[in-house]
Amino acid sequence: MAEQHTPQLLRVTIDGIAVQVPPGTLVIEAARQVGVMIPHFCYHPKLEPDANCRMCLVEIEKMPRLQTSCSTRVTDGMVVRSNTSPVVQAARKSVLEFILANHPLDCPVCDQGGRCDLQDFSHEYTPTVSRFTELKRIFPKEYFSPLIETQMNRCVQCLRCVRYCDQVMDVKALAPAGRGTMTEIKHFGHHALDCEFCGGCVQICPVGAITSRLSMYEYRPWMLKRTETICPYCGDGCQFTIQQKNNELIEVNSTYGAGRNRGDLCARGYFGYHASTHPDRLRHPLIRRPDGTFREVPWEEALEVAGERLMGIKQAHGGEAIAGLITSRCTNEELYLFQKLMRVVLGTNKIDCSARYGHVNGIEPLRRVQGAHRWTVTFEDIVAADVLLLVGTNITETNPITGLKVKEAVKRRGARLLTLETLLPVRGSISNITTLSSCHIPVHPLGYGQAVNALVKAMIEQNDVAPQIREQAVEFYRTIESVLRTCSWEDLECDLGVSRYRFFEMARIFREAMRAVVLIGQGVLRASRGADIVTNLLDLLLLAGHHQRPGCGLGVLAEENNDQGAVEMGALASYLPGPVSLSDQAACQAIASLWMEELPQGPSATLPEILNQARVGHVRALYVVGENPLASLPPSFNVQEALERVEVLVCQELFLTETARHAHIVLPACSYAEKDGTFTNTEGLVQPVRRAIDPVGESQPDWAIFSALSVVMGYPIEYGSAKEIFKEIQSVIPRYALLGPAPTPPNVHQDVVDRYLHGDFQVDVTQRYTWPRLSPKSEKRLTLILTQSLFHSGKFSTRAKGLLRVQAEGTLLLNSTEAARWGLQPGGMARLSNERGAVSVKVRVLDRVPEGMAFFPEHFDHDIRILFQAEVDPLTQVPCWKQTSVTVEPQ
Amino acid sequence: MAQYEKILLRNMEQPGYRGSLHEYERTGGYQALRKVLRDLSPAQVIEAVKNSGLRGRGGAGFPTGIKWGFVPKDHPGPKYLCCNADESEPGTFKDRQLMERDPHQLLEGILIACYAIGAPVAYIYIRGEFRLGAKILERAIEEARGAGYIGPRILGTDVGIEVYVHQGAGAYICGEETALLESLEGKRGLPRFKPPFPATHGLYQKPTVVNNVETLCNVPHIVNRGAEWFASIGSPPKSTGTRIFCLSGHVKRPGNYEVPMGVTFRELIFELGGGMRSEKPLKGFIPGGASAPFLTPDHLDVKMDFESVAQAGSMLGSGGVTVMEEGTSMVWAALRLMEFFYHESCGKCTPCREGSSWILQILQRIWAGGGRPGDLELLEDLCKNIEGRTVCAFGDAEVSPVLSTLRYWRDEYEALIHQAEATRTTKGEIPVLTM
Repeated sequence: MAEQHTPQLLRVTIDGIAVQVPPGTLVIEAARQVGVMIPHFCYHPKLEPDANCRMCLVEIEKMPRLQTSCSTRVTDGMVVRSNTSPVVQAARKSVLEFILANHPLDCPVCDQGGRCDLQDFSHEYTPTVSRFTELKRIFPKEYFSPLIETQMNRCVQCLRCVRYCDQVMDVKALAPAGRGTMTEIKHFGHHALDCEFCGGCVQICPVGAITSRLSMYEYRPWMLKRTETICPYCGDGCQFTIQQKNNELIEVNSTYGAGRNRGDLCARGYFGYHASTHPDRLRHPLIRRPDGTFREVPWEEALEVAGERLMGIKQAHGGEAIAGLITSRCTNEELYLFQKLMRVVLGTNKIDCSARYGHVNGIEPLRRVQGAHRWTVTFEDIVAADVLLLVGTNITETNPITGLKVKEAVKRRGARLLTLETLLPVRGSISNITTLSSCHIPVHPLGYGQAVNALVKAMIEQNDVAPQIREQAVEFYRTIESVLRTCSWEDLECDLGVSRYRFFEMARIFREAMRAVVLIGQGVLRASRGADIVTNLLDLLLLAGHHQRPGCGLGVLAEENNDQGAVEMGALASYLPGPVSLSDQAACQAIASLWMEELPQGPSATLPEILNQARVGHVRALYVVGENPLASLPPSFNVQEALERVEVLVCQELFLTETARHAHIVLPACSYAEKDGTFTNTEGLVQPVRRAIDPVGESQPDWAIFSALSVVMGYPIEYGSAKEIFKEIQSVIPRYALLGPAPTPPNVHQDVVDRYLHGDFQVDVTQRYTWPRLSPKSEKRLTLILTQSLFHSGKFSTRAKGLLRVQAEGTLLLNSTEAARWGLQPGGMARLSNERGAVSVKVRVLDRVPEGMAFFPEHFDHDIRILFQAEVDPLTQVPCWKQTSVTVEPQ
Repeated sequence: MAQYEKILLRNMEQPGYRGSLHEYERTGGYQALRKVLRDLSPAQVIEAVKNSGLRGRGGAGFPTGIKWGFVPKDHPGPKYLCCNADESEPGTFKDRQLMERDPHQLLEGILIACYAIGAPVAYIYIRGEFRLGAKILERAIEEARGAGYIGPRILGTDVGIEVYVHQGAGAYICGEETALLESLEGKRGLPRFKPPFPATHGLYQKPTVVNNVETLCNVPHIVNRGAEWFASIGSPPKSTGTRIFCLSGHVKRPGNYEVPMGVTFRELIFELGGGMRSEKPLKGFIPGGASAPFLTPDHLDVKMDFESVAQAGSMLGSGGVTVMEEGTSMVWAALRLMEFFYHESCGKCTPCREGSSWILQILQRIWAGGGRPGDLELLEDLCKNIEGRTVCAFGDAEVSPVLSTLRYWRDEYEALIHQAEATRTTKGEIPVLTM
């Protein structure tokens, strides 16, 4: 048989084994392909080669001296000798001898022991007696940071940590200091390390020089049981490995290349795992005594009481008197089963989930304009994009790993980044995506509607509208053009404080893109009329002609791990699993026949509606799963009144939250670490969640509780495992039958787009593009905004001791000019007040906060909530309340 | 004593010459630049430099014209010229004199080189300690700018060249061309692995030529007097032109001597340098800066050109000739040099980083009377494990004093070790608790 030789591939022989690899392949990678493992310290596939450790030397025919295989790219016909060359073996031995000369050999107390490259290679190459009889270099121990520990005597100076921090994270927190043998890895400044705490340096260190303080001295690697699962915090859906010893969580890490995160994690993922096993976890079912205290009861009793009381309400007042709220942190199986239980057993359509706090503002426009309720792009498309438009997202802090994809596109592939964001492009200890922007327009949190108006207007006015739209959808763009004529550039410039030419520039770059991806964050999704802004951005995509182009699309960044899944499981008002709209009779009927049940015919209700109805007594029983409306909404929303009014409040929770304290029956549920199931990430990938530890106390997975409750109530919907539920989900939602390591994004439905372009857009076009003028900046008041922090996600992470070491309390963040204006000292206290109340908070100066504003992390909003007033979006029923205005005085 | 025509040092050796623009122009300065801009295409300049046989004067001796030829002609982005003025090699002090005494000669060379390779910007990376040199160059650049030699439209042509002076921060390694580029970019001065070479991926990953001060100073003369003239000086065909040798150590008249390549060490040391400073005879010498292996009196008749010195087992390097008289301890000399290399090893590559401290400690121990049998074999083995195993040539350089002194004066090491053995009281190397 003639030898196969593709012209694009190069032939290489490594240790006598022939292999064909594409041009540009490094010798070390070519060798890996044929099973020749070349030892190395400094090389890592994520990083640019540095060739400093000299461990990977190989002999290459026709080349002088030994070459580093990590930096040499293959050429056709290259002959490489690695393990078969005595010269190479001797060279590696000598490199190890050099490294070990100053190494402390403290393996017995080193956390890396047992999974250390230096240990493994030493075992493979060096004799047991060292020729080094001189003095060892010793670095005195220095405190490094609350979470990351360095032990520089163990360092092999491969600089992987430094390079990772720069090349992947774009944080540049670490640097080598000193020269020669005195080189040590340090951070900048005379204080403890202050960085993103992504844990990347710990993960990438080949030896025990950088380790995690959370698990110091707690284990040997072979004692740990590993479970691959999905991070429970944001919607990025990072895959990580939980490692436990005797049912205790010891460590979390992520294998190189694993999951959508490709092995990268953020602080929440890497250091936030203790939240699951916090001592405050509920261990037993509780029933409230008349005096308000709780008593522990056996499961049987709790379920019986809960079942009886819920059924009692159903029988007396009908299913419509019962409503359910569930958190999007639950698995798909649980969300699905919850809505099925509520509909089939309790006979109500009044179900809602935490996607209501913002994610629906993205879902509704996507369904309406392009017929697909999820991303039509993937993380790979973000990396491959040539233009990225980020609107209202401080992506590093909300969706750090999606942020890494953006960084990769910009830093390594030269994509152009456009940002509409409140943040100012000021560098700091945490990376700020706007500093990478080639066109950044600062936008007031209330000004996104106008900013998008300006962008659309700029695109139309400079004739950037794609020819196919101009020809085939004349009506569409003419209408938008005429609506926007009423919105003058003078007004826009005055309100936004930005020249129109910036918008012309941004529109031009966006129009010229070959692969444009728009990402929308909480700044828009939680804003009043967020859905209108998203629809207008979809208009922008249509006008630029990008909607059909491969690799182009609009993504809505999910805040919670399973926001997308919650929507698709039908745990959302007015939707059945699919999501199928309740108004779609045929589709509803199909689901009913699959379930072989009658669907309730009563009205659905959203979260604000449910609370309102509870307050006036229309909803008499409330089943709340993992949701904590009392802490998620400001006091002015009167949640407390609603909770006190209902006759039956069943809470299924990890902790005795503010809401759970009002419950009549509290059922202890398992966290993500104790159960099986699936999460759907922000790009729509369904990923398996696996049980890593035994349930804490008597807690049960939510799905098991629903199942048991259905039995108690006499309408058994029983499942033996989460997998059985998932099978049913697959039969109801065909998309869930397509599982894989990467998402298969849906196509834009051309018929839906056509319907939109030729008529549907008109329904609200005037209203969508009409935005109230921004009131001029007040000299006497400060705009206070609740924002998300990189170190926390919702309130769940505030139970993680690792994250609390980095951020244990909320501080008022404002820039130095603003701090000086109000006479505030960094570290001092400020008193914030408005007509609703007053609170005292600590002050921190952060120069990326724009003038006239102050940020406060929402995770610690317990006291500050009283200053806010919620306003419910009339269209999507999203409660918007993340900003207010206050007066400030030093205290 | 033979008299040689001085080329690079000619101006500054005129009485009263202070290196101002006016004086430089009076001696024919900037005529080469005018000629180049007027008559020659960049390709013709490169051709002339190739034909002249000019080789780099920084140490490695790479042919300059060929280096320039590697720069891609049709590169769309910017290209750069970097003048390596980070003269830090112990025993070398020629560039300092060239910059301080005749800065315009260097500037003219830089401008012609920029024109040849199409670089609109040149950086002079000058050693941090050369504050005076930096000041003089800054002043010279201002003068040249005023006269229209530097700026957006040089001498009314479309050619625009800017020249900047950048001061180093005191690291020897920044004289290595890729470490120099890293440092110039504002990063830690660590060498890059090659390939890619600076000619295609240099400063900010753009095509870049890095040339030594003395190399560039030769360029105007090649343009003025022709490649053939230059190629006829020295020992053609491989080593053409003159070299400025920096003579130091135990000689009567240390200093910079410009001679055609190919004169012998004997002539440099005993005729130009006036011979040894005392009655003691010559014991050994370093022929080309601290990185070059030692040579012995047997090598006095070796010609000072690239090939002959290489054949003798050393290198012409940067041209720093350090002479040592009889009575100098070669162990001490090696130790002293090793201290320098240990201090300057950047720490990037394992063998050089760890090896330099290990070797230094062994030498210190031997010198302090703690030598042990087997130390010399260990030293040789460690040196062998460093040589050729590092990113840059520093690894090769740091072992050369040790290996060459071990080759020629091994008996001195052995004597110290014998003495130590004789006076040692305990035999066991690691004390062991015995009950």
